[in-house]
Amino acid sequence: MRTRQTIAVIGATGSMGTAIAKSLSKGNYRLLLFTSDKSKLKDLQKEIIATTPGADVEPISCSYTASWEADVIIVAVPFAMEKEVADKIREVANQKIVISIANPLNETYDALVTAPDTSAAEELQKLLPNSKVVKAFNTTFAADFAQPVIDGKRVDAFIAGNDNDALETVSEIVQAAGFNPVIAGDLSVSRILENMQLLLIRLGIKYNYNWLAGWKILHQ
Amino acid sequence: MYELFFEKLAEKIALTPGQQDIIKRYLIPKKIRKNQYLLQEGDVARHAAFVEKGALRAYSVDEKGAEHIIQFAFEGWTISDMYSFMTGNPATYNIDALEDSELVLISTNAQEEILKQIPEYEAYIRLQVTGAYMAMQKRITSMLSLSLEERYINLIKLYPNLIQRVPQRMIASYMGLTPETLSRVRRKIKNK
Repeated sequence: MRTRQTIAVIGATGSMGTAIAKSLSKGNYRLLLFTSDKSKLKDLQKEIIATTPGADVEPISCSYTASWEADVIIVAVPFAMEKEVADKIREVANQKIVISIANPLNETYDALVTAPDTSAAEELQKLLPNSKVVKAFNTTFAADFAQPVIDGKRVDAFIAGNDNDALETVSEIVQAAGFNPVIAGDLSVSRILENMQLLLIRLGIKYNYNWLAGWKILHQ
Repeated sequence: MYELFFEKLAEKIALTPGQQDIIKRYLIPKKIRKNQYLLQEGDVARHAAFVEKGALRAYSVDEKGAEHIIQFAFEGWTISDMYSFMTGNPATYNIDALEDSELVLISTNAQEEILKQIPEYEAYIRLQVTGAYMAMQKRITSMLSLSLEERYINLIKLYPNLIQRVPQRMIASYMGLTPETLSRVRRKIKNK
């Protein structure tokens, strides 16, 4: 797509939000960065422009305005904060793609807090019934964005959602971030994807992967 | 958020509040800043844009890189590359914002959904398409058979705020003239 898409990153100064923003600033995107801690936003903008001169990136002081301008909204906040964000942006996120990156982990990182018959993405969809919620970037660690090729293999990044056009758009975004996009299925597949990351986190802690690890499907 | 959109709709068809709520579910509120593109040539136009506030233009670029403005859109107007929007083929127009603008976007899929659920909407689309067709016929006729003075006067009637909101060179581009020719036309009208 030639037309520059505007992406709002809500929670831009968190580790995932920062990694996503840095990575996408290299692509044909205009980024609007929002976080409740505004002092860090200017620094993040400076840091991005220092590494990617000419990056189209702007801190913005209101999640409502950012989402109003956006074509795609990335909700890069912990699962527990999704409701608060959704309540603020609902009106202006109407019919827009909203990317859920959250893994609803408990405090000890050994289980999910969501019931087995739902997921963080599906809960966000319930909160934003007229938006096109897509699960993405939940199976990739923040460090993977700086190094999307690990052990010579491009990391797979799984995507799930109910709208075909939205899945296509998010695939392009995932690819721009340097990963190999894999459309896994409809939004309910998010349950599996969130559990996959739970497993990777547990293994990472157990075997000390140093938060630089990812999934790769080997196939013929 | 969609005040003007529903006002314009109400001028053509009567909708119940329930029907309005159904339509609202499918609309995309979108803010765009001055000089930003809504669409670039080569991409498929996935949306028609209704202007709640602000101003946009659609233009094509010729082989020499010169811009030819096809349409302006101010408050209450709809703008898109209709050929691309209807067929799914790549757009031949660029659409950008002349001012900070607030738009209501409707996708092709959303339009189909609304049509399925609200038969009255069909009449609105028909009236809109008819209106756009008549406007185009007028534009072609005026290009072919009216004097430059007449064309300019008609243009100002069609877009009353045009001179205040759009640079002269863009008005010239819309009329297919050089800016110099346009100022001659304007002087002539003034001196009459």
